[in-house]
Amino acid sequence: MFKPLKCQTVLMILILMGGGCADRHKEPLIKIGCAAPLTGDQAQLGRDVCRGVRLAVEQANEKGIGVPGYRLEVTALDDQHNPAQAVNVAKKFVADRDVLAVMGHFNSSCTKPASAIYHEARMVQITASSTNPELSKQGFDTFFRVAATDDVQGPKGARYAAKQLDTKTVFVIDDKTTYGKGLADEFQKEAEALGLHVLGHEGITQGDKDFMPLLTRVKSLLPDMIYFGGIYPEGSLLVRQARALNIPAKFMGGDGLATPIFIQLSSPEIAEGTYATMVGGDMKKVPTAQEFIKAYEERYGEELGQWSAYGYDAANILITAIQKAGGKDRQAVLKAIRGIPSFQGVTGEVVFDAQGDNRNQFIGVFKVQNGLLAYVGPAQ
Amino acid sequence: MSFIFLQQIINGLTIGMIYALIALGYTMVYGIAQLINFAHGEIFMVGAYLGLVGYSLLKLLFPAGGHGPLWVAGVFIFVMPCTAFLGVLIERFAYRPLRNAPRLAPLITAIGISFLLQNVVMLIFGPSDKSFPAILTVKNYPLGRAAVTNLQLFIACVSIALMFGLHFFVKKTRTGKAMRALADDREAASLVGINTDRVMSWAFLIGSALAGAGGVMFGMYYNTINFHDGYLAGLKAFTAAVLGGIGNIPGAMFGGLLIGILEGLGAGYISSSWKNVFAFHVLILILLLRPSGLLGARVVKKA
Repeated sequence: MFKPLKCQTVLMILILMGGGCADRHKEPLIKIGCAAPLTGDQAQLGRDVCRGVRLAVEQANEKGIGVPGYRLEVTALDDQHNPAQAVNVAKKFVADRDVLAVMGHFNSSCTKPASAIYHEARMVQITASSTNPELSKQGFDTFFRVAATDDVQGPKGARYAAKQLDTKTVFVIDDKTTYGKGLADEFQKEAEALGLHVLGHEGITQGDKDFMPLLTRVKSLLPDMIYFGGIYPEGSLLVRQARALNIPAKFMGGDGLATPIFIQLSSPEIAEGTYATMVGGDMKKVPTAQEFIKAYEERYGEELGQWSAYGYDAANILITAIQKAGGKDRQAVLKAIRGIPSFQGVTGEVVFDAQGDNRNQFIGVFKVQNGLLAYVGPAQ
Repeated sequence: MSFIFLQQIINGLTIGMIYALIALGYTMVYGIAQLINFAHGEIFMVGAYLGLVGYSLLKLLFPAGGHGPLWVAGVFIFVMPCTAFLGVLIERFAYRPLRNAPRLAPLITAIGISFLLQNVVMLIFGPSDKSFPAILTVKNYPLGRAAVTNLQLFIACVSIALMFGLHFFVKKTRTGKAMRALADDREAASLVGINTDRVMSWAFLIGSALAGAGGVMFGMYYNTINFHDGYLAGLKAFTAAVLGGIGNIPGAMFGGLLIGILEGLGAGYISSSWKNVFAFHVLILILLLRPSGLLGARVVKKA
């Protein structure tokens, strides 16, 4: 009884010592935070972004880009697409002196409260995906984003619906989040300006499953189109239940639906013919992105995620800024990133304006065809 | 627009049937053990996931096929015993050791079990939504301008059959009689030689089997399942049980249907943003105005 216990103790001491030694020999670190939902129903989206970031950092380490004497590392933290959790994550990043800048958050509702904390800490934050227009209007000079904003995405979606799809009446639904409601409101404004008849605008609750009561009402109004501002878990349920109720209306959404999981969850036959706008075009057709796509698929053994390229671009801008800053200094990274006139990324050219928004506001339209997300063309 | 009203009632009744099945488990356990089994919603969620497992197993055995009534039966035959066993297991290890502890203690273990089940499912199946296979091909039957699907009819038939089965069991069998005796007075029941441990196991077994069936139908109806699903559905079923009078079996069925319809009408006619508010408003109102529930007996508090 006594002997094995002793062995165990010795082993533990050895392990502890070993761990300690390894730590001392490590290169000093510069960390880049990645904040996104990594568990929960939107985990796939968060994973997409952080994988892009990780790939960029690994490539930079291989090529020796960065600050001499330091190794770059990604620290990913899960905000569970919960604003309160996002604040905790932001505080953790700010408290870690090794973290120079943060990629994130994913959801606008999380980016909003977190951005105040990064601003106070003078730490650069680049979001690859938060599209709510209000985020850059808070006067935070530490805020940057690669994605186009919803005051462009919503109206362009509305124009596409009116002009290309010949829509006359529309029912608008949103998920009551900063992103979903913002996008749906922008869509509705433009739709009304274009003379479309908006039959109603209703909210649903994230995490709910039963939208039959709302859709039954929508059915009686006979809209040409249902527009949904929100993300795929609810989007796929909406489209399924709408079809179960025999609602023939076209179904359209924003970047929250432009992902293959939307098709998988709503089943290909049911998702067929639905439209989604996306804050970018078809990556697979961009010649300059081919090398990145190949590297991504080799690294992860999976097809390119919807948001990975944006995470990759944002991380590369950050790495360039860190290299320019030349040291472990958050303030210097902020100055350096402001000094980058333009950046040629795999998603296109990224030019930050004074608010930190990307001047390149390209919106593409995707349609589910034969069970796949097919690029239809740019939304004007 | 009377067809909308009819459609809302059909929608509400369908989800109400599922709430009622879960509520039966709450109410039976409460009636017999005076315990609110907050892990019950999670058993329902595990039932949905086991449906997925059962379907995949069947698919391994019979690679041809994939849907039809036989497959549905197969999945139910797999899931219900599994959740029943899970319920008995939980009772044995989380509640029975605390039988004579203060009433707060098993309530806390119930919440613990609930977290445990959620996290185990998350670790095994991953955090993302899983799509549930379409075991029945959905067909629409028009009712004027409203429509009812074969899935909705199926859910109604299975739920009603299970509820009748339970009613028969409680009223006609020996074990059912023992259950009623236990609900009336546990000490007196044990004095006349009823094995209380066994009867309680039975209550958990039946309640969990019903929740498992509810879980499978929930998966079939909404086609996506998530490890969080047990939480809200469980709370609403609990509301249904309280509404009907907790401890009262017909009350739970009635409460479930009522909550389903109320939610459908509220979300359809008032605002879908407030959908979850309706059920919980009912909970508050019933606790304030008639704590014993609609069908519950007004019990004079025992001294």
